[in-house]
Amino acid sequence: MPPPPLNLLWVEPHFPGRLGAVADWFVRRRGYRCWFYCHTADPPEFWPPSMAKGLNVSVFNVGGVAREPSAPWHRLLERSLCYSYGCWEVLEVNRPKPIDLIIGRSTGLGSSLFAPVYRPGAPVVNFFDYYNQPREFDLADEAGPHTPAAYFHWRRSASAIELLDLENCDLPWTPTTWQRDLFPAEYRADFEVLHDGVDTRLFAPRPRSGPRMIQGRPIPEGARVVTFVAQTLERLRGFDRFWSLANTLLRARSDVLCVVVGESVVRRGLDIDFHQKDYPALLRAQDPIYDTDRFWMLGNKPRMAVAEVLAASDLHIAPSRVYPVARSVLEAMSCGSVVLASDSAPCREVITHEVNGLLLDPNDAGAWSLQALRVLDEPEAFRPLGDAAADLIRERYDQDVTLPRLAELFDRLVEREYRVSRRERETVE
Amino acid sequence: MHILFIHDAFPAQFGRLGLELTERYGWRCSYLIQSLSACPTPTRAMLEKLEIHQVPLSQEHRQKGGIPWPQIYGLFLEQCRTVYDVLRTKPELKPDLVVAHGGRGAPTLFLSELFDCPIVIYCEYYFGLNRRDISYRIDLPPAEPAPFFPRSINAPTLATLVEADTGYSATHWQRASFPKRFQHKIEVHFDGIDTTEYQPGPAVRQFGGVSIPEGTRVVTYVARGLESVRGFDIFMKAADRIGRARSDVLFIVVGGEEIHYGWDALHTGRPSFKQWVLEQDKYDLSRFLFLGTILPEQLAQILRLTDLHIYPSVPFVLSWSLLDAMCSGAVVIGSDVPPVREVIEPGVNGLVTPFFDVDQLADTALRVLGDPAAFAPLGRAARRTIEERYSLDVAIPALKDYFERIAAQPARKGVTAPNHPASRRSG
Repeated sequence: MPPPPLNLLWVEPHFPGRLGAVADWFVRRRGYRCWFYCHTADPPEFWPPSMAKGLNVSVFNVGGVAREPSAPWHRLLERSLCYSYGCWEVLEVNRPKPIDLIIGRSTGLGSSLFAPVYRPGAPVVNFFDYYNQPREFDLADEAGPHTPAAYFHWRRSASAIELLDLENCDLPWTPTTWQRDLFPAEYRADFEVLHDGVDTRLFAPRPRSGPRMIQGRPIPEGARVVTFVAQTLERLRGFDRFWSLANTLLRARSDVLCVVVGESVVRRGLDIDFHQKDYPALLRAQDPIYDTDRFWMLGNKPRMAVAEVLAASDLHIAPSRVYPVARSVLEAMSCGSVVLASDSAPCREVITHEVNGLLLDPNDAGAWSLQALRVLDEPEAFRPLGDAAADLIRERYDQDVTLPRLAELFDRLVEREYRVSRRERETVE
Repeated sequence: MHILFIHDAFPAQFGRLGLELTERYGWRCSYLIQSLSACPTPTRAMLEKLEIHQVPLSQEHRQKGGIPWPQIYGLFLEQCRTVYDVLRTKPELKPDLVVAHGGRGAPTLFLSELFDCPIVIYCEYYFGLNRRDISYRIDLPPAEPAPFFPRSINAPTLATLVEADTGYSATHWQRASFPKRFQHKIEVHFDGIDTTEYQPGPAVRQFGGVSIPEGTRVVTYVARGLESVRGFDIFMKAADRIGRARSDVLFIVVGGEEIHYGWDALHTGRPSFKQWVLEQDKYDLSRFLFLGTILPEQLAQILRLTDLHIYPSVPFVLSWSLLDAMCSGAVVIGSDVPPVREVIEPGVNGLVTPFFDVDQLADTALRVLGDPAAFAPLGRAARRTIEERYSLDVAIPALKDYFERIAAQPARKGVTAPNHPASRRSG
């Protein structure tokens, strides 16, 4: 007999964020009831289908330093605690019940930390994205003598909320092994490494024939579509590298059309040089796009629109710095696009060079141009890579493959009822 | 060997330790501190033989009213930065080992950017969600931060522990307060009781201008602060019962009115837990001698004089005063909680009663006071316990070996990146 549907409380600073799609799957596929607590929410066109049909969203406010546009580096945990407290406060007012399980994702804002104060005893699952390394990975690899000491102080201290979340949760969860291994060795064995999955019905290969459209605009017959998709068009995701490559490709081939999806203003604090700045505008000022008619910047788009872009792609470019592999890379693979990505450990976990994608040293711009032109010259020759990528996603990263495993974990946690949480069991008797 | 000790205060945990390492083994011991402490006060030898460097007072120490709990990690980071900045300007302070303490995390987070020597953390305590430390007093009015504080207060400790090479705790119970996953890098080393200063023998019978007649039974209570975590209210209730049963008892109370741990001010709405407790019942204060904060040599005299030492404490870091009393050969009644049980074997070297059971505490005390000779062997056994397990002569050589062993190891330079399989710096 299948277990009865659970009642899940999801906490993430922004909706739908990363967990919204997962909650949506649990409502649609399992009939679970989901309350999603967030501080901010995207407009309705970004909401998943199960919204108000089992998935209910509540917005909480924040006080203290969290109300300020930015916080000094040493007050980031304080800001996180304000988020956590704000969430707890609204839980106390709304009193959603019953709650069998709490699932949180802090993204550095720690909003699930105090949810167990409202619902003691409910097992807590936390989704973890990243643990800062003081002098390695992401943009730290490019720090130089000019970089202030405070930058490294911040990096060394910024993961405090992750440490608290790790100590306060029953099951830490992260999408990839590379991400897990960023965390202190003492925690790694606790992690469940499980990708949150790709909606392969949405991100599906296009029919082999027929016209292609993006946002209602027809794509000229025979055009070569090169795509770049990121939450934010920033250095971290290698948008500077893409910009330069795009100009090379636009100059080299008159049939190239570059399509870019993502927000222009850099939101992540990791990029201290360009934080809160319009990064594409800065790149444009330095190196104007060769042919703006063939360079479509669509801005931030709902999932459906992203799927349309990726399905139309002949070559998807992901020249990221060393950082967790972007969800858009997996979505591009799911669409059968040929993906050209940075040859870095996080990308290698998903992409095998010349088997289901292409990996190159991200600092070798010449090699990227040559490789991209080869793909665009002979799309059919490289199509097997895209097909293999789509097969891989269906076998290993499909939501319907990964999320049933997550559901099993949830069921098991609730079944055990974790009345005495792990930290209490660890309490000295 | 050159050890750099980092602590808010001096001498605190490290002053005597450094002096012993200097005098016994000729080690160089430097200190980075914020202030000189009055509890205990530094000795002349410490001030002459140890290198003391002061850093600016942190906001927490400048501010009288306390720091809101969400800001504690930020203040910890400011202190880490201050320590980093000060040490950057002192190239002569290039230690073989850093040993640091912080009640809320040692301010060593950025030191691996400066030093390539190992960093040792004094792992005093890790706050629990419930059933111990400041969450134990469920009998007191609830304090607003109670459910939130323990979920967030350990952030500095965790951040420091992740980065440190190793750590040590004074007792097994303190070590066990830390998450199991970190216990492998924490050893247990007690820092040592001075068995010469605290020893049985004849004592002066005059304190605070009061002469204590022969034949008067002296019951003592000692704590850094007279507060709920150390069961000051429990002691007063038991003392009241004892005093009603026997007219020959004088209660000597040592400790300041400051609240060092917990939320007594929030529980009671008063700045002084002592005053709040005294207002709750009608105590015969003529039977009590409140001495406030005193010097170690005065404390040694009181503990030599005592007929019974009462140590009611919630499960929390063991007080030095308990061990000092045992070292003085006093008969001790402690609370029946794990940290006390680690030292006291009931009926062998002391007695224990349940923390909240005032009647049992008073009854047990009356039995001791009624027949001191029958209980004297417990005091003698207590003294032996300290000599054998907690004395400076036992603790200092063990700590010396530990420090030498750690200093001989390469520093880990922060544990996360070098351990990452994809790290360029991994082996």
